Amino acid sequence: MAETGVVARSPIAPAAPEIILAGWAVSARRSGAALTVTDCTPMTKVAIKAAPVGATAERLEVPFGRVSRQTWTLGDRDCSVMVVGSGPGEWLVLGPPGSQVSLIHQLSTLAGDGDLVAVVDLSHGRALVRLTGSWAAEVLAKETAMDLGDSVCPDGAAFRSAVAGLAADVIRDDRDGTRSYLVGCERSSGQYLFDSLLESGAEFGIEVDGFVPPDI
Amino acid sequence: MILIPCPWCGSRDAGEFAYGGEPTPRPDPRTATREQWRGYLYLRNNVAGWTTERWYHRMGCRRYLTVQRNTVTNEVRQP
Amino acid sequence: MKRQTRRLDRQPGEVIDRGSPLEFGWNGRSYPAYAGDTIASALAACGERVFSRSFKYHRPRGLLTASYTDPGCIVQVGDEPNVRGAHRLAEPGMDVRSQDTWPSLVFDVKAANELVGRFLPAGFYYKTFIRPRPLWPTYERVLRRFSHGGVVSPDPLSPELSSYDKRQVHPDVLVAGGGPAGMTSAVAAARAGARVMLVEEEHSLGGHLRWGDKADLAALHDLRSLLAASGVEVLTNSVVFGRYDHNHVAIVQRGLTHVYERLVKARAKTLVVAPGLIERPYVFAGNDVPGVMLSTAVRRLINLYAVKPGDRAVVLTANPQGDAAVVDLERAGVEVAHVVDARGGDDLVRVLGRGGVKGVELVGGHRIECDLVVTAVGWTAPLTLLTMAGTVAAYDSRAARYFPGTATLPDDALPAGGVVGDGTLDELVAHADAVGREAARRAGSMSRREPAAEIPALPVDAHPELFHGPTHGIVDFSEDVSSRDLLTAVEEGYSSAELAKRYTTATMGPTQGKLESVNVVAIIAEATGRTISQTGTTTWRPPYAPVTLGALAGRHREPVRYSPMHPWHERHGAAPLVAGAWIRPDHYGDPAGEVLAVRKRVGIIDVTPIGKLDLRGPDVPKLLNLLYVNRWSKLEVGRVRYGVMCAEDGVVLDDGVTGRLGDQHYLMSTTSSGAASVWEWVESWLQTEHPGWQVHVTPVTTSYASINVAGPRSRELLGRVVAEIDLTPQAFPYMHVRTGRVAGVDGCVLWRIGFTGELSFELHVPASYGLHVWETLLDSGNDLGVRAFGIEAQRILRLEKGHLIVGQDTDGLTQAFSAGLDGLIRLDKGDFVGRSELVWQAEAAAESRLVGLHPNDASVVPEEGSQLIEAGVICGRVTSSRWSPTLHRSICLAQVATEFAEPGTLVTVRLPDGRSVPATVTEHLASVDPEGARLRG
Repeated sequence: MAETGVVARSPIAPAAPEIILAGWAVSARRSGAALTVTDCTPMTKVAIKAAPVGATAERLEVPFGRVSRQTWTLGDRDCSVMVVGSGPGEWLVLGPPGSQVSLIHQLSTLAGDGDLVAVVDLSHGRALVRLTGSWAAEVLAKETAMDLGDSVCPDGAAFRSAVAGLAADVIRDDRDGTRSYLVGCERSSGQYLFDSLLESGAEFGIEVDGFVPPDI
Repeated sequence: MILIPCPWCGSRDAGEFAYGGEPTPRPDPRTATREQWRGYLYLRNNVAGWTTERWYHRMGCRRYLTVQRNTVTNEVRQP
Repeated sequence: MKRQTRRLDRQPGEVIDRGSPLEFGWNGRSYPAYAGDTIASALAACGERVFSRSFKYHRPRGLLTASYTDPGCIVQVGDEPNVRGAHRLAEPGMDVRSQDTWPSLVFDVKAANELVGRFLPAGFYYKTFIRPRPLWPTYERVLRRFSHGGVVSPDPLSPELSSYDKRQVHPDVLVAGGGPAGMTSAVAAARAGARVMLVEEEHSLGGHLRWGDKADLAALHDLRSLLAASGVEVLTNSVVFGRYDHNHVAIVQRGLTHVYERLVKARAKTLVVAPGLIERPYVFAGNDVPGVMLSTAVRRLINLYAVKPGDRAVVLTANPQGDAAVVDLERAGVEVAHVVDARGGDDLVRVLGRGGVKGVELVGGHRIECDLVVTAVGWTAPLTLLTMAGTVAAYDSRAARYFPGTATLPDDALPAGGVVGDGTLDELVAHADAVGREAARRAGSMSRREPAAEIPALPVDAHPELFHGPTHGIVDFSEDVSSRDLLTAVEEGYSSAELAKRYTTATMGPTQGKLESVNVVAIIAEATGRTISQTGTTTWRPPYAPVTLGALAGRHREPVRYSPMHPWHERHGAAPLVAGAWIRPDHYGDPAGEVLAVRKRVGIIDVTPIGKLDLRGPDVPKLLNLLYVNRWSKLEVGRVRYGVMCAEDGVVLDDGVTGRLGDQHYLMSTTSSGAASVWEWVESWLQTEHPGWQVHVTPVTTSYASINVAGPRSRELLGRVVAEIDLTPQAFPYMHVRTGRVAGVDGCVLWRIGFTGELSFELHVPASYGLHVWETLLDSGNDLGVRAFGIEAQRILRLEKGHLIVGQDTDGLTQAFSAGLDGLIRLDKGDFVGRSELVWQAEAAAESRLVGLHPNDASVVPEEGSQLIEAGVICGRVTSSRWSPTLHRSICLAQVATEFAEPGTLVTVRLPDGRSVPATVTEHLASVDPEGARLRG
């Protein structure tokens, strides 16, 4: 977090025009194209590590490979969060921009007896991109060897694999029935990931759409 | 490219993993002779046939796993 | 413009669209065509017969197969070399030219090769053009003119030819081959619930049905309807070129609009192989003269393209397809002067004519005038994909072809169609239908409890073994290898198929053995008195069909990593340094000036790529004690310690500082190149040796932008931007860590460490604010003379202080006692990684040591890696070397044999240019401030 006036920047250069939203420099572009890519890096991302089977895992209630949308009370407000089972004994919680402090506070109360829990803020350490459109799986199929078919990767599934040569978390999170994926990688490769998706999506008329918080 | 059956993530391309070689027990450092220690460092069985080997799923769950692979046919199975 | 003198009236199965005429160029002249014509069919429709010159002898060549594999029609299209003219569709405005003919296709000077043919037998290049060696450059220049192939422009290729991409697919069932068997299998598998992909080499599906009779065309129509309704994904003008472990199947897809070729990588559960059969040429004198064609070639020309292949034909037939060709020829108005029925023992002796067929000579000397010779002497099964899957092919002399050995078929590859057997279309379809269902069942689309589908057997027709006639002819059309060459090879001792192939280059050309391998084996077998089975075949390897290097490479794009401050570096002229995937600022135009700024005032450097690991848990001290060579049990909260890690062989692996931020919370830093490997190293010890230890590791390398603020004014500069932290030396001593707010950003970590040897602080700022903090530091410190410095300046600064860089001053064999780390290593602290070898190294006394070195001539800066030589023996090497702007002299670090490591020892440095210069071992590794007073201020 920072004083007001200090602007946070994503590793992905915002497509012009640039505005400040929720303390982040984001793109103000709006696209109605059938296939869009959006930089969602401003979202809060908190990583949790705990025993794969144990008190914390029980309380989080999200198994490895699945995503769950939940409503948590953060501070005095109800917020939508996504809890992702990103690895064995590993979870990623996605929340609206700027909610790290309350999220981390909420998560620290989760630790069960005898269960060592590490809660680490990765909001700045991960780039996050959303790819939406009926061609989204075709675009991703150019970048990853994972089977994206509905039977293997339905809405609400999560996996980590190589995407464009990066170790990336992929979450299928359809929006209003349209295929949509969140792809996250370590921050410094964010621009490269974004550019790769733009290049692979060119064939299908992909366009950049700006981030609109809270985007959960 | 061969498929490695990760016990957590399922079958994945071998390119997602780092090869860890034959798991070799670490001798007791307090009593090991130079020969025993260097055997641990450098000597492997290198069988033509079924061998046990370790892989690290670096592009996936980042866990170490052990499988059995037939080095002649490239069949892979859980140990 | 030429006229289509040989175009026939509308044919029932023609693929040309007479409503869409177009024009293209051939060797500079304009030719008409219809949409759907190939380059070859359009030219043949205008009466052209010669399309190329052969590889070695530059003999004129015409159409042989009129398919993708046709060796006689490889042409240059614009910038694109080696285009298969009998497959590539003609397009408006195309500029097609013959390859490697001079001055023209018609009159090719290099045909003189043929005159000296007897001096150019197979393998001549192993025996000629070798001596005298000084003439090699001349031989090379001359031979290059005679080597074959098209022209690649040295200029950048047009985007159409230079863009490629990849796609990954996961079909349950992948069907290779889109003839009737392939189409049927695909439909059957789809009906059984499988996700199916069908790949066909030609532009349309249907295989041999397309040039068949009325019944064939009707059957084709029905199959096409079934397929269209089935949901199968169809790729035409695409080839399955390799099958690898676990049914990883590679396909090259052509004919796309936005990329030249696409590599489709399929992980199929089951692979159905239905490639059909490829017709074999007959070997006899003149078999490569333009006008000699296979029966499938004339049937394609007539039925698909409505082209009359000649006026007067002689047909050599040994099977029903050859008989059907006779019917098609007559229907097209070609006079069939004579039918040579090989089943009755009849044969052809030779073809008459050089630039084109003029006639044939039969057994007994009888000659017949004609302009077209058609042969139908047998079929070759392209078993490549099945042999790649592990099948062993078996030759059946009754059927005169190879079959897949059923005992060696793997579970996940199933053959269908002509490669399995013969029979009526109904029988082939029934067989393929069962194969499709079984393929789906094995893919798991149907319940595995379903019984295996019963696959009916297919009859196998007898076929005479006909490989060559009574005269010598061309066996490999692409490589110009004759049957005489094969006999020469056998005479010289190369009597196995593999050796003869390599010696003569037969099967090594663009046809890749499809037309010639069986004839090669048969001729060698005969010459060595063995059967075909005894002789064996060559090994079929991927790619089955040619694929461009561009398709294999895909987009040339590799991960690139940028620091949050990268835009600032770019704007300020930083010279980029590629460090792994990172782009780092090497310097901003004046590294020496940057060094002096740090020594005299204050400088800031972007060190974001430094590895950072967040460690939490009660057992972190155990982990640190295990991996570092020094002691870590008692590190108080707020303290930072330097540590070195060794591998189990005692070799230095990595170094860094680790700080304790909280009771069970530590932050470990590593070298930037070691960031990923140290994380993996830590995980390997926790997961495999100590799974019971309570430690969580989270990499935070890119969560923080890391900035090193160094120089006598660094504290003053920080004081202007830091809040909540007391920066005074008493409150914040050397090797301590604090957290607080910097430039308005919370959650920053600061530690006081000193790689450069000056008073310095390393800031770790939440990465999204990195650029803001960087710019704030520079703005706030203008009057202090703050300056950005880069990696080069940092290297000089740390060298002046004698600080080693792992991997630069150590290598893969440098054990810790050779790296000047004696003071750090605690052999008495209990087990740690590498301890055993370090104990033995200490006992034996280290063979080499890391020392500081000053060349006696202070202006000489030895290249890094220069050898140290004493009494003619190499005794070490220079590991780091720079000109020091602070001391106005050269300074080095070196690995040197222990006997020369005493301070004051004179050693000789051998520079790469051959000069030897003397240098003296210094007392300390550091040349500047060896006592370290500036650091601790």
